[in-house]
Amino acid sequence: MKISSIEYASIQTYDELLTPSLLPRSAAQPLLDYLSAIDEADLTARRQAAEATILAMGITFTVYSDAGNIDRAWPLDVVPRVMTRKEWDPIQVGLKQRLTALNLFINDIYNKQQIVKDGVFPIEVLKDSVNFRPQCVGITPKFGVWANICGTDLVRDADGTVYVLEDNLRVPSGVSYMLENRQIMKRIFPELFRTSNILPVDGYTTELYNMLAALSPRPGDQPVIAVLTPGIYNSAYFEHSYLAQQMGAYLVEGSDLVVDEKDIVYIKTITGLQRVDVIYRRIDDDFIDPEVFNPDSVLGVAGLMRAWRSGNVAIANAPGAGVADDKVVYTYVPKMIKYYLDEDPILPNVPSYLCMHKDEREYVINNIDQLVVKPANESGGYGMIIGSRATQAERDAFVELIKKNPRNYMAQPTLNLSTAPAIVNGVLVPRHLDLRPFVLQSKNQYVTMGGLTRVAMRQGSLVVNSSQGGGSKDTWIVEEGV
Amino acid sequence: MLARDAENLYWMARYLGRAENTARLIISTSDILLDLPQGASLGWGTVLQIAGIDHMYKKHYETVAEADIMHFLIADERNQSSILSSVQNARENTRTLRELLPEELWERINSLYLYIVNNIDLASKNRRNKYLFLQNVIQQRHSIEGLIISTLERDLAYYFIRLGTHIERADMTTRIMDINYAISLPQDSDSDEITRQTLWVGILKALSAFLPYRRLHNVNVNMAGVVDFLFHERRFPRSIIHCLYEIESTLSDLPMNEALLPHVKAAQLHIQNKSTKELDIVQLHESIDIAQQQLNDIHNALNETYFSPNEGTKAA
Repeated sequence: MKISSIEYASIQTYDELLTPSLLPRSAAQPLLDYLSAIDEADLTARRQAAEATILAMGITFTVYSDAGNIDRAWPLDVVPRVMTRKEWDPIQVGLKQRLTALNLFINDIYNKQQIVKDGVFPIEVLKDSVNFRPQCVGITPKFGVWANICGTDLVRDADGTVYVLEDNLRVPSGVSYMLENRQIMKRIFPELFRTSNILPVDGYTTELYNMLAALSPRPGDQPVIAVLTPGIYNSAYFEHSYLAQQMGAYLVEGSDLVVDEKDIVYIKTITGLQRVDVIYRRIDDDFIDPEVFNPDSVLGVAGLMRAWRSGNVAIANAPGAGVADDKVVYTYVPKMIKYYLDEDPILPNVPSYLCMHKDEREYVINNIDQLVVKPANESGGYGMIIGSRATQAERDAFVELIKKNPRNYMAQPTLNLSTAPAIVNGVLVPRHLDLRPFVLQSKNQYVTMGGLTRVAMRQGSLVVNSSQGGGSKDTWIVEEGV
Repeated sequence: MLARDAENLYWMARYLGRAENTARLIISTSDILLDLPQGASLGWGTVLQIAGIDHMYKKHYETVAEADIMHFLIADERNQSSILSSVQNARENTRTLRELLPEELWERINSLYLYIVNNIDLASKNRRNKYLFLQNVIQQRHSIEGLIISTLERDLAYYFIRLGTHIERADMTTRIMDINYAISLPQDSDSDEITRQTLWVGILKALSAFLPYRRLHNVNVNMAGVVDFLFHERRFPRSIIHCLYEIESTLSDLPMNEALLPHVKAAQLHIQNKSTKELDIVQLHESIDIAQQQLNDIHNALNETYFSPNEGTKAA
């Protein structure tokens, strides 16, 4: 297996496995030794085995535009991304710090709004936020925690710095792929797991269960937990089902639940109605309760908000948590960390320009060809523009959008996302990637060991979203020198 | 257990059973066709009636031809009971049930589905390939059933699968027995008796019942014997009475079975009391009609009791 020095010479990125002179970084040494020794036929056979396994396991990520086709095998690049524990540990601490501050912020925003009164966070941002839910004002969920599950997107720039790109606090997905990728890699490269000290990732589902169980409003150690899914046509349905299965929880759709006049939530079972304590919802706020939000929603449960506000059921993430999952609010996170925790942020934000501020907006409009401009509330890579890769007409059209609704846009410099080798046509070529660790918080906090590495499988592409045709890699946190 | 999950489990089992049983129906019909004497004919229209899909077929095809019927039974997605559709449906049901089932089960059902999709052209090429294809479908379905029996905990999920399996199996046993009704033999043929016998052997073989019949009954194959065996032999797992007892014993492990058991008892009585000695093909056909109706009654009662939850009962 050879490294494509031509493709590597054409880019200036930080490579996760290789030094600039294309030698293995120390943590990746055993892996690259292994890959250079393995012959192509053997590797091809293993990759085919991986593909067959994925097909057989039916691991699929639906893409909305794929009408009628609800299956689509999800590409796994078999070259893992490797990071040392020494590098990972501070990142992990930084993630916990960030989520702690975010939860303090959300609870503050829905209650006293002290951060606004103290002049740290401008109220205007809130007024225009589509994810601020007035229906949640005055509520304090158990432990004061609103975002119980957070998927934080990390990227590494050319100089090696790791930045937080965004905090996904609504219904972040992808963790099942992290778990399945590891399972597949163990099946096809068992030797590697014997020679390297790769830290396990599979504690996640137990931690998720414990985190959810701690939210139960009723005493007792066997709370009834349900994963609420929009159903089989949702792109992440596989994951909903997987997590329910791993936790031994009910996997329910809105029509399986009913709220009675006493604001108690029940599941429809074969023997009648059974009370539910905790709902891990994988449906956006807008759709969870037609009584309160979108009245046309058939995915949700009428009365769910009543039950939640009365404290009869826990919902994770809490309705309204998305207020902090907003690319404008994002820019204030370093200030929040300072304000609530009196600590310096461990993980830096990507430098950002807010179009709501006149001077920053003008900078964005004048330099759009060097920036990535994103809408504040979209996820999955929809509705954004990468200025350097767009046509003049596309840029002009986007400038109009910005002018029409400045609050809704923010811009960041085009980062030179780090790469790792991926196998294309029998050669190792650089492909851009990011990393999504998952952070849990209720009574305690937990961070996954590594996370989901998403990779843009097309040469030069920076778009890694699985909903935009990206792939993934197994992520190895390795303990060195033990 | 969620009412919706119970219903999906039940249907998953029915669809899987239907795929296997449709394969069996095709094999037996094809075998019988080879054994028919000169001048005898198989009424393909009646075969469609037996499979319960004659109306649907007429909607999509103008003529009744073997090749079209085979396609309709095996690969036509417009036929909800075709092998392809059945496995597709079972797979979609399983997809919503993965958290309740053994992990490998989904993989096996998915493999069966992929096998069918990839080999469906092969099946329509010639008889030998078709036979191999159908054998493989049956074999893979057995491996799925084996996985369920050997790894799934004996709890609610298992019970609903068992109910679906046995209702579907009893139903298909009645349908396969009814094939002879579709055959008209030439008048005054000397070979009539022998031919009929061969046909009943074909039916036993389609149900993997030939050797059990020999071992348990140890008599010549004739209509009265075969019908008696397939109706009444409790030791044979594809007999109607065996299926009905399985349904009864499964129900007795489930809560709220009061409304269901009388329907099962009625079906048991009908089958048990049917004397097979003097029965002719037409009477058999009528008796089978009644049995099918009774199975349908059991299905409807399941639906009412378990799948459409009554909001009157609340538990903490």
